[in-house]
Amino acid sequence: MQPRHWITYALGFLLAPVSALAATPARSADETCDRACLNGLVDQYLDAVVAHDPSHLPLAKTVKFTEDGQRLDLGDGFWRTATARGTYKYYMDDPVVGQVVFFGTMREAGNPVSLVLRLKIKDKKIAEIETIVIRTGMNPARPADTGAESFEKLGGPDPLFLQEIPPAERVSRDELARTANKYFSGMQLNDGKGDYSFFADDCSRIENGQQATEGRNTVASGSGQGNSYTVFSGCRAQFQSGLIHFVTRIRDRRFVVLDTEYGVALAFTFFDHAAGNTRTFQTPDGKTVTAGPTTPWTWEIAEAFKVENGQIHRILAIFQRCPYGMNSGWSSWEDSMSDKARW
Amino acid sequence: MRAKLRFGLILGLALLVCEAPHIGAARAADETCDRACLSGIVDQYLAAMVAHDPSRLPLAKTVRFTEDGVPLQLGDGLWATAGSLGSYKLTFAEPESGAAGAYAVVQENGAGAILALRLKVANRRITEIETLVARKPTTSILNTDNLTEPRPIFLETVAPANRPSRQEMVSMIGKYFDGIEQGNGDIVPFDPDCIRIENGIQTCPSSASSPLGALSCGAQLSTKIFTYIQTVSPRRFPIVDRERGLVLAIVRFNHPGTQQTVEVPGRGKMTMGRYSQWPNSTQIAELFKIKDRKIKEITAVIVTAAYKAPLGWE
Repeated sequence: MQPRHWITYALGFLLAPVSALAATPARSADETCDRACLNGLVDQYLDAVVAHDPSHLPLAKTVKFTEDGQRLDLGDGFWRTATARGTYKYYMDDPVVGQVVFFGTMREAGNPVSLVLRLKIKDKKIAEIETIVIRTGMNPARPADTGAESFEKLGGPDPLFLQEIPPAERVSRDELARTANKYFSGMQLNDGKGDYSFFADDCSRIENGQQATEGRNTVASGSGQGNSYTVFSGCRAQFQSGLIHFVTRIRDRRFVVLDTEYGVALAFTFFDHAAGNTRTFQTPDGKTVTAGPTTPWTWEIAEAFKVENGQIHRILAIFQRCPYGMNSGWSSWEDSMSDKARW
Repeated sequence: MRAKLRFGLILGLALLVCEAPHIGAARAADETCDRACLSGIVDQYLAAMVAHDPSRLPLAKTVRFTEDGVPLQLGDGLWATAGSLGSYKLTFAEPESGAAGAYAVVQENGAGAILALRLKVANRRITEIETLVARKPTTSILNTDNLTEPRPIFLETVAPANRPSRQEMVSMIGKYFDGIEQGNGDIVPFDPDCIRIENGIQTCPSSASSPLGALSCGAQLSTKIFTYIQTVSPRRFPIVDRERGLVLAIVRFNHPGTQQTVEVPGRGKMTMGRYSQWPNSTQIAELFKIKDRKIKEITAVIVTAAYKAPLGWE
């Protein structure tokens, strides 16, 4: 279980999306990159990474590449150390904005690593490349497992992620993002007193390849015996515990995939743990608790949500520790410090 | 008429130019921050930090603050968690450029951390605050129990006649980083008895740190065991304290993860350190004591970072 924590957050933020990215660009039929095109570019990219050779990729003139939030020359970083592709693969497409995010496993010098890849496609060329590579050594919270082995044991994403939403039940991009964003708002400074009806009864969460909720919205027998939300089983029960207060800020919430056909929303974001006086708080039952990280640090996260009928049914996250307050490399400082969702 | 005007303008400008240095000198007397002033501002900073109250500081209107290379609001990061100061505090300064630095031990929710601090002061106000904080588990090696008082050599004053120029001192330290990149201790002006302490732990010479730890600082480099540090870039030398013979370098070691073993003469193939295993960097604030034109002691605060993560001041 990872040491994440939560706090309920002002719902006002839910009402203030930035919709600049939502507009469908006017493109000719030739230039549009559909799902097959997007997924094909992901495969082309990963094969090129393993070959250590970016020269044959269809790159836009001004392509930008980041790894773990740092801007690098294309060909540096994981490009020099990747040795093979792994078996876990999940493609999340947003043909409307020409964007795809891939969750998968790879090998680096033979060692399993988890990878998050975002490609932004313009005129069938790769214009933006954002990656997070989860390596054992950089993740002291999980020294024994990067998550890659666990992902490969799972075999693939939960089948629900791959089920289309019946056309009559599909919601707008805005609504999809708003529902998913309730998760972040409910976790930030979580107090257990919010309206968590956005969680479906069957909601379950996988984090770095491991089950984090047990899939039941019931209170576990350990309830009240510890200061960790992880003793609670189920997405909603964990939020109702009020024990995730130590996630002091969930910022730079960038919803980069809003796939209304599949009800999938994917956001890059950061979970800050300020580790100051917010470590001591009261749970809904009046108990004063001191919990959470003792030093300031941040999770760098990519988190996918399956939303159906206005509720979150599945959550799939890949994340790693990063310096407190770090920027993604894709946001202004002001946006990176803001907890407003953007899409 | 026009000619007269032009003459008047030239005369006026000439007078202004003549006056300017005088005006500047008068202002400088009021606003210069000497060693004692800089040291006092460092103390003020540390006291305000453990009080979680940046409003106590003499701040310029536009002050910039980073922790571990990340720009933050002043009051965030270690400001929110610092409990109390330890006894260890090593302060140094370059009054000519309004720069001050310090290493200090801080308790953070019950655990020891080491703060490396750089301040830039103009008109007696703080304009820049750069910090690196060695804390677990961000860094693999750390021992604050060893740090009770600064080693006396860092406090020794160099006789004025024996002080190398700023440029000479920076050049000597540049060779240290060149020596790391090239795996060649011979090009570095080491004192034969040089000692290096990293995050409170002596790493050269030291039998504990690695199989080659007992070697001198220079001999360690020459084994090439550190050449997984393929580049030391960027390099900055923001504080040169000529009076004490100290140079503060703030640099980034880049480990691309492409070389994990090395052939060490007489010892055969050896595996390099754990940071050779994948792309990553370390951000380092490293203080060098130069004595008799040799590197006599080194003390460093080292923080693990993402590969090529900016230090925030490039």
